[in-house]
Amino acid sequence: MNTKLAITRPVNWNKIEDAIDLDVWNRLTSNFWLPEKVPLSNDIQSWETLKPNEQLLTMRVFTGLTLLDTIQGTVGAAALLPDAITPHEEAVITNIAFMESVHAKSYSSVFSTLCSTDEIEQAFRWSEENPYLQKKAEIVLGYYRGDDPLKRKVASTLLESFLFYSGFYLPMYWSSRAKLTNTADLIRLIIRDEAIHGYYIGYKFQQTYNQESQARKDEIKQYAYDLLLELYENEIKYTADLYDELGLTSDVKKFLHYNANKALMNLGFEALFPKDDCEVSAAILSALSPNADENHDFFSGSGSSYVMGKHESTTDDDWDF
Amino acid sequence: MERTPELAPNEVISRFDNGELENTLSYHELNAMINLWNAEGKMQLEKDKMAVHKYFLDHVNLNTVFFHSLRERLDYLVEHDYYEPDVLAKYSFDFLEKINEFAYSKKFRFETFLGAFKFYTSYTLKTFDGTRYLERFEDRVVMVAIALADGDEDFALHLVEEMISGRFQPATPTFLNCGKKQRGELVSCFLLRIEDNMESISRSINSSLQLSKRGGGVALSLSNIRESGAPIKKIEGQSSGIIPVMKLLEDSFSYANQLGARQGAGAVYLNAHHPDILKFLDTKRENADEKIRIKSLSIGVVVPDITLELARENEDMYLFSPYDVENVYGIPFGDISVTEKYQEMVDDPRIKKTKIKARVLFERIAELQFESGYPYIMYEDTVNNANPIKGRINMSNLCSEILQVNTPTTYNEDLSYAEIGKDISCNLGSLNIAKAMDGGNLADTVETSIRALTAVSEMSDIQSVRSIADGNAKTHAIGLGQMNLHGYLAREHIHYGSEVALDFTNIYFYTVVYHCIRASNLLATEKKESFDGFEDSKYATGEFFNKYTDQVWAPKTEKVAELFANAGIEIPTQEDWKKLSELVQKNGLYNQNLQAVPPTGSISYINNSTSSIHPVASKIEIRKEGKLGRVYYPAPYLSDETSEYYEDAYEIGPDKIIDTYAEATQHVDQGLSLTLFFKDTATTRDVNRAQIYAWRKGIKTIYYIRIRQLALAGTEVDECVSCML
Repeated sequence: MNTKLAITRPVNWNKIEDAIDLDVWNRLTSNFWLPEKVPLSNDIQSWETLKPNEQLLTMRVFTGLTLLDTIQGTVGAAALLPDAITPHEEAVITNIAFMESVHAKSYSSVFSTLCSTDEIEQAFRWSEENPYLQKKAEIVLGYYRGDDPLKRKVASTLLESFLFYSGFYLPMYWSSRAKLTNTADLIRLIIRDEAIHGYYIGYKFQQTYNQESQARKDEIKQYAYDLLLELYENEIKYTADLYDELGLTSDVKKFLHYNANKALMNLGFEALFPKDDCEVSAAILSALSPNADENHDFFSGSGSSYVMGKHESTTDDDWDF
Repeated sequence: MERTPELAPNEVISRFDNGELENTLSYHELNAMINLWNAEGKMQLEKDKMAVHKYFLDHVNLNTVFFHSLRERLDYLVEHDYYEPDVLAKYSFDFLEKINEFAYSKKFRFETFLGAFKFYTSYTLKTFDGTRYLERFEDRVVMVAIALADGDEDFALHLVEEMISGRFQPATPTFLNCGKKQRGELVSCFLLRIEDNMESISRSINSSLQLSKRGGGVALSLSNIRESGAPIKKIEGQSSGIIPVMKLLEDSFSYANQLGARQGAGAVYLNAHHPDILKFLDTKRENADEKIRIKSLSIGVVVPDITLELARENEDMYLFSPYDVENVYGIPFGDISVTEKYQEMVDDPRIKKTKIKARVLFERIAELQFESGYPYIMYEDTVNNANPIKGRINMSNLCSEILQVNTPTTYNEDLSYAEIGKDISCNLGSLNIAKAMDGGNLADTVETSIRALTAVSEMSDIQSVRSIADGNAKTHAIGLGQMNLHGYLAREHIHYGSEVALDFTNIYFYTVVYHCIRASNLLATEKKESFDGFEDSKYATGEFFNKYTDQVWAPKTEKVAELFANAGIEIPTQEDWKKLSELVQKNGLYNQNLQAVPPTGSISYINNSTSSIHPVASKIEIRKEGKLGRVYYPAPYLSDETSEYYEDAYEIGPDKIIDTYAEATQHVDQGLSLTLFFKDTATTRDVNRAQIYAWRKGIKTIYYIRIRQLALAGTEVDECVSCML
């Protein structure tokens, strides 16, 4: 762990060293949400139309996601704090850490709305016992505990931009088939956040990385691809374990490739997987769009669009009539 | 429409030609592809047509019950309790065959995947186990027509013609339910007053359950209910105000759903000068406590002119205790014109009051609109000044387009009715502007539509809520709406909000209102009956007609004159209006209200229209519906040629939308659902300015505020059309 002493200077938001910090801070705060916003209970009827094995899969996928968000909220984002270059970056990271905890709690809201306590406990037990999921957690935790700041950022970006997506696939898949659409809204809010987290951590990674020596760059780059492949191999097994029964594995894999490339892009590296292997189903890809331009009405739940407003007082001129 | 290639590490490139694509992709995937660019960076609109085709091949045709003949089909559906035998019994079998053939001869085809998908998931008759379809689009149209025509063969054929051509589209409850044996009501929209007593509050909850069970939205006015802390039986500090009532209503609506068709939905309106106004708004806060948080109930604020005037002066605004106001004036707070009585109430020591900064209220409203899209706004004085009917309008409905007068109901101690007041129901249907113009006979299209909506009113009798049943029987209020304005303008290469577009909107609505009144006058003449209170209306005095007989209304631009001339549609003259005014004063009007322009969600998709008269939210709209999930809807007539005329609502901005609605508003007796669209660079001040501008332009109500937030650069889904347009 880095032993840098905390707080040597107060954070002055009127003096921004890196404009991206402010951009991202503004975006994250205006995106703030809580799971109570989404009327998940409207999905109960839809949940009951899922077959038992589909329900089981869904619960397992969500416990998997819960585990990842727990790691990211309690260890991951915190591990990045000591490496922050600017005080504003520290502020952004604390926001990221908090939102990860909100995400972890959101899955619990889904569970408690849709499933019985017994089912929830079984699903959590599964997550504790599933070797691939546990391995995934171990790998990431291992790197968070490592002492190289750049490597920690690589691990974090891969988690944010790559590892979550084997789980995100399923709610997007359901929603494209008109199932669990409110849950999908909630997941889309999470995706909206994770997209920014991955982008931001990747950006901060590039800031430091670009100043390193060529040898060091090569080392880190090699490391990033190695780690990605290590995670990828495990992720493929995890995916097969979950999705084989519904016959979705090959489509999920393409989705993983797509997001692995996206993660590398966030780090400023070239794509690893060829285009042909990334042909994600259009329904899933479109469903992912993090934009808030979706149209819905009062019969259709809250959607994933609204943002916190910027306050500005009116002046006398505005009222000149 | 430029794409940014450097952001595309792995785009979706179709390796297949279209034939192969159709074989390998599902209809959902084909539909989703219209939201993505193809390899050349072009929109792939043809994929949606393929999705429709595939949907029929892979799903609809396989799941539709087959009958050898019409006779076999109708016998089966009646015998198994799917169709209402009384509806069919009014016609000979020969005629049923004839109307059936007529409908099928029109070769109706769904233009978009969403249209077809929505029809088959939400409207068509299905087997009771929900697995197989029993109707095609033509069958549904015929059933609606013969149910509404009630034995009148000629009218039934007219209705089929208007509906199958897409000119007239009844609202969801009518189109969904007509002719079915197991069905909800044909009416979509209800408005209830609540008075300041427990009998009225509990009755309104009962009524809300009953009405949402039967189809559609319920709006309730809370303005009359005493504020929190007001006395009960003269003991101070007892009342808990309006929030607990809102909670009860919200739970009632989530309990009731219309045979699973859709969830009940409700709205509540409150006068801006009610003491609980800030608490009312805070229920929509993102971080509100669970005890007061209102999630699914819509809210609206009734804003009198005085509130805006006080804000202009940057003064305090007083909030008045409804309990005291009712004691002093002997009429409920909601029925008082706050603008008129403001100073008097301020000076009256018997009325308890609190004060807030008027501008703070508007700023708070704007903040909440960012966070939640709510509240709706109703400009109370604008609405009442334009109202030709005697009485006061103190609330609107779930879509903020219904504006009618109401009167209170009183109860005896045993909860039976002492006096049944008038509450509001409104059945709606909309014209597709493009198709109505193409039809060339707007007079006939409007008349058939008014007759159809009147039939719905006559067939409705909701005994479980007597104030609604009575109100409907006395007023026969209906609301003819309009949709596809932007679609029509784009097709004709006219920019939304341009001088030509405003001119067209004005003349179109001017022509429509003439034919609405003409049709209602014909009905009154035929039935020898006018709506209750006609004698006291500005129609009876002729005052209503002054604005049409005192000045000439004609196209200001050559283009609009041309559009009407080419369509063969005559624009009513002053002379026409003078004659109509005389006829109305002589024979009356059958319907108390005639027009209301709803937001048209679902039906505009089936009808291949843009919603209502506002601009498209996006060329390719992402539609999220409870039953559908995410589906992508291309704007009608969208092509490389029309693309530049499909600037989206966020680009167009609030002013042009308000200008367009202002042109229409002057010819519409009720309201128009007006949604305002802002980019996320807007602040609460921009929202406030739009509200002020709308009020100055004579807009009656504002519906949702929508904010578009674009993805942060670097986080978009690279190939997504809706991210880039």
